[in-house]
Amino acid sequence: MLTVLGLSSALVCALPSFAFAAEGGIEKILPDMNEFVPMLVAFILILIVLAKFGWPMFEGIMVRREAAIKESLEKSEAARIESEKLLEEYKKQLAEAKAQAAQIVADAKKTGESVKADIESKAQVEAANMIEKAKAAIEAEKKQAVSDLQGSVADLTVSVTARIVGEDLSDDEHRAIIERYINEAGSFNA
Amino acid sequence: MPNNRHLEQGKVLTYASVLLDSALEAGGQDAVLEVRDQFETIVKIVRSNMDLAGALSDNSADPAQRASIARGTFAMCNLALCEVLAVMAERGDMSLMNRIYASFVEQLERKLNVAIVDVTTVVALDDHLREVITNKVEADLGTKVVLRERIDKSLLGGILLTVGGKRIDASVASRLDAARTALKETSDGGEC
Repeated sequence: MLTVLGLSSALVCALPSFAFAAEGGIEKILPDMNEFVPMLVAFILILIVLAKFGWPMFEGIMVRREAAIKESLEKSEAARIESEKLLEEYKKQLAEAKAQAAQIVADAKKTGESVKADIESKAQVEAANMIEKAKAAIEAEKKQAVSDLQGSVADLTVSVTARIVGEDLSDDEHRAIIERYINEAGSFNA
Repeated sequence: MPNNRHLEQGKVLTYASVLLDSALEAGGQDAVLEVRDQFETIVKIVRSNMDLAGALSDNSADPAQRASIARGTFAMCNLALCEVLAVMAERGDMSLMNRIYASFVEQLERKLNVAIVDVTTVVALDDHLREVITNKVEADLGTKVVLRERIDKSLLGGILLTVGGKRIDASVASRLDAARTALKETSDGGEC
């Protein structure tokens, strides 16, 4: 096919030159037939050789190149599909991870609230106990203070009385007291 | 065969009877009562003075040295008492002193057929009070009594009678103590 096209184009190019040379003055620019024919033959021979040997080799290279490109494209497509699959998978995993994270946060919040409530409850109980103990301590201190005051008053009263009795009574008054006490005292047989 | 406790009891009775007989022979009932008072005082002193008790019971010292210490310490006492104490110290029997005193008082009361009553007051007794006290205690005990009078201002007033380990505390100090206790125990529940 290419051979036919090459010959046709060569003839088309050669015909106007013959017509123009037949008219006369153009001979100077027309190729010399002695040169033209061998060149044409050589051209045709080269064309034939190329069509016979060069073109198939070139075509083979092109075919292989095409196959390689096609294979590369297919690989690229497969890689793209694989990438898309992986992307989808990653997106899915990411979504799951987000869901898990949300769940964990929710659980943590729930646990935190539970712990907070527990701590608050314990703190309230502890505070109530402390208040109760403080009240009891205050009450005990109060009773102790009253008791101490009573003791001090009693000591003071007895001390004053003892001083009055010891200093102010005469011997006869003491003897009168002794006699009265003897009469009031119990028996050794009791 | 007598055991150690019986031997000690025998020693106690012997010391007490020797002391009683010696005092009776030397000065009759007054001397016996004097010895009793002095012995009681010595018992209290030795009980409260660990140095003196240690010196009189020091087994590392020579017996004669212990007797010498006893004689020197109790030289102002009745001679019979001083000698008995010296013998006790010499033989290492000072640890029996309390029991010997108790036995001495017991034998004394039995032998003289009297009960010795220690009467402690703030002022000296007059004859009327002695009679009142004697009558009361004799009525209580059913036996003749001998009063041993002491003055102790810490009683503040009233009287303290002691006989044979029993006592009647009719002193002002004890009544004030009772009043103090009653005042301290009286409580309205802590409300002011």
